[in-house]
Amino acid sequence: MVSVAFINPLSDEGKMIVRELGEFNGVLSENDDLMNIVTKSRSQEISNDSFIPRSYFDLALKRIEWYAKKKNDRNFEHKQYDFLFNQDIIKFDVIAFYLLCQAIGVKYGPNSRESRVLVESQGKLIENRLSKLSKTERNLIVTNILNSLLSSTHLKWTFFEDLISSKKLKMHELILDKGEIILEMDDFLERFSYKIHGRKPEKMYEALIGDRIKEQVMIKMVMQNTENYIQQVGERSHREIEPNPILLELADKISEVLISSVQTFGKGGSSYGISIKASALNPKSFPPCVKKVMEGMKSGGRNDAIIMFLTPFISYARLYPSVFSENITKQISDVDPTLSIIQNEILPLIFGAAERCNPPLFEDQPQDKVNLNAKLGFGMHQHPELKNEGETTWYTPMSCEKVKIHLPSLCKPDETCKKIGNPLSYYNRKLWAFKKEMKNISNNKDK
Amino acid sequence: MVNIEYLTPASPEERKKYYREEWDIKQVPEYIVHSIQEREFGFDHIGRGPNDRYKVFQTPDLLKRFLKVRTPFAAYCSVAFYDKPRRRDRWTKAELVFDVDAKDIPIRTCECEGVCEICLNEAREIVLNIIDTLKGDLSLENIHIVYSGRGYHIRVLDHNIMSINSDLRSQIVKYVVGAYVPENEYSLDFEKVSYEHFVIPFGYPNVFTKRFKYAILHLNENSDLDEVNKKLLKDILKHRQLIELENWGMFKNKIGPMRYRKVLKGIASMNMSLIDAKVSIDLKRILRLPSSLHSMVSMKCTEVKNIETFDPFDDAVPKFVYERK
Repeated sequence: MVSVAFINPLSDEGKMIVRELGEFNGVLSENDDLMNIVTKSRSQEISNDSFIPRSYFDLALKRIEWYAKKKNDRNFEHKQYDFLFNQDIIKFDVIAFYLLCQAIGVKYGPNSRESRVLVESQGKLIENRLSKLSKTERNLIVTNILNSLLSSTHLKWTFFEDLISSKKLKMHELILDKGEIILEMDDFLERFSYKIHGRKPEKMYEALIGDRIKEQVMIKMVMQNTENYIQQVGERSHREIEPNPILLELADKISEVLISSVQTFGKGGSSYGISIKASALNPKSFPPCVKKVMEGMKSGGRNDAIIMFLTPFISYARLYPSVFSENITKQISDVDPTLSIIQNEILPLIFGAAERCNPPLFEDQPQDKVNLNAKLGFGMHQHPELKNEGETTWYTPMSCEKVKIHLPSLCKPDETCKKIGNPLSYYNRKLWAFKKEMKNISNNKDK
Repeated sequence: MVNIEYLTPASPEERKKYYREEWDIKQVPEYIVHSIQEREFGFDHIGRGPNDRYKVFQTPDLLKRFLKVRTPFAAYCSVAFYDKPRRRDRWTKAELVFDVDAKDIPIRTCECEGVCEICLNEAREIVLNIIDTLKGDLSLENIHIVYSGRGYHIRVLDHNIMSINSDLRSQIVKYVVGAYVPENEYSLDFEKVSYEHFVIPFGYPNVFTKRFKYAILHLNENSDLDEVNKKLLKDILKHRQLIELENWGMFKNKIGPMRYRKVLKGIASMNMSLIDAKVSIDLKRILRLPSSLHSMVSMKCTEVKNIETFDPFDDAVPKFVYERK
């Protein structure tokens, strides 16, 4: 049977592995056993040395790289990371996991982008590892881990306070009754079978709860515990005088891995060959509808114009102009990790436009700042903060079609408008033309 | 029972009369009196909102003296508990609150400008539905209802949830109002099975079914639902008696499966406006003090002992209103 620590490194078994390692310093050294396991993994690609982690330190980075590339790289090659699914790697994998938690906890803390990526990667890794097991083995390990994580068979929904409030578990997807979350079939049948008519209660249980929800609860609990552990490490590190330099070095490397994996701008480009990179905004290239909103709106439609229309446009134009050609979902912190561009460039522009409305939007309706943050993906909060990112979706810019329906007074098309279907495409096209013109002028001067 | 036409704003003299002759500290609910030292109080003296904030009363007698002397336009008290309420410092916990304002209910069968008997009754129905879910699915206890003057406040003082954060409160709100469209397709090992919300008599799908039924039965030809055009609305109204008879499958067939999904989405989105969600997620909100006067409408903000028999136009009308006749 698969080891518990392979799925839940924070288990007693996982902790035992960490205790057995003892010395911390060896994590940088080349480890023949590790390389041996990696190269012998069934489908592992070994044509390039860089695919093979040589130490615990390397393995930790590969763990993060696997997730970041899987998420962001369209050319992601699973075979380069097959070793992560080889159960023989367990001892090394657990140590790598703890190294990551400690490095991120010490340097970035629990509310960082790095922490979020690690927690998400752990969840995804568990899902992928479980998917490679037989149904029986999978059920067994999930039940085994759940039993160790849950102290009682009567599960009060409030026990999952953290998981529900962080939306790792969705309250409406759980079956709640008399304050308890129903996970077991016997419990389900006892409570509900007499109410179910014309359908098999057992099948309904399998569909609504079954292994799917149990597995989800187990995975999310491990993710939450990972987050809690990072927080503990962070708190402990504040009391210590100097963190281990190896952890600081690993933390820097993690950040590098994340940055390089999302620096995909310019790779794809649009269908007409425009290389679109995130760069400072050029208001001269804005389409007529955006220019109109930037001048300020009158009372009717102010709200939609600033919150629904302008906010997504400005944020994507500045941070992720190639969203439609790349077609990869991102969060703002993927492209603006410290939110400095949001704070210093994007919000001032939007607030300026809101100020120019008659009457000024936020003076009149201050609660709309919360809605603005929601459209940027930072949930229903007063200020954009990393810890809240992902609560809502970072809205993509409205298409011309939608602008015509929701804000018809804005649509005063010019010649370029005829060639595009979204104001963001207008901006990219104009920006590209503008840069080309600048380049030609510069070339002519050189001549 | 008083006629609604008499419920005009209270004059300063009427406020004095109310607080000095009619109001009694005993009308303030026990759950506030017991924690008076831990709560922040706020007052509106001139009818422009509560700008006299951060007040603290060490004893009920001091609150009594303040109200009788100052006879405010409106009085408020925090749902939050603090170690140092004067500075709103060291927050310890907060009631979970649902604010159902009759005038803001998105689907009202009346066409009144403010509030009337019909929409107040509809607000009461919504309150009962929410409480049913809070008690049934979530097993919450210590739930109180207050008539606010224009609707109802549900105040939950269950110790299990008083320290939860805004995010969890927001999840609870969405669950109890029915703000998500439930899944209707589920994957099993080798097949997909379909269960519409109305065949699942428990959990969230059942909550949603109840909210859906309420909404459908309260729509009228002027109702505005996302994704629902005039033609679809007309068809809903035409066939809604099927839902009243619990003939859900037939209703869905009459509407058509694709259009039925649109109705589900429209209702789910509309359900978020049944309550003022901002109030529920605010951990430091001040709410109208039960027993105080809602001077704008000359009604008493009243603790409701029995919602089944409570009649705001009888039980929440101060004596001075009867003297206006």
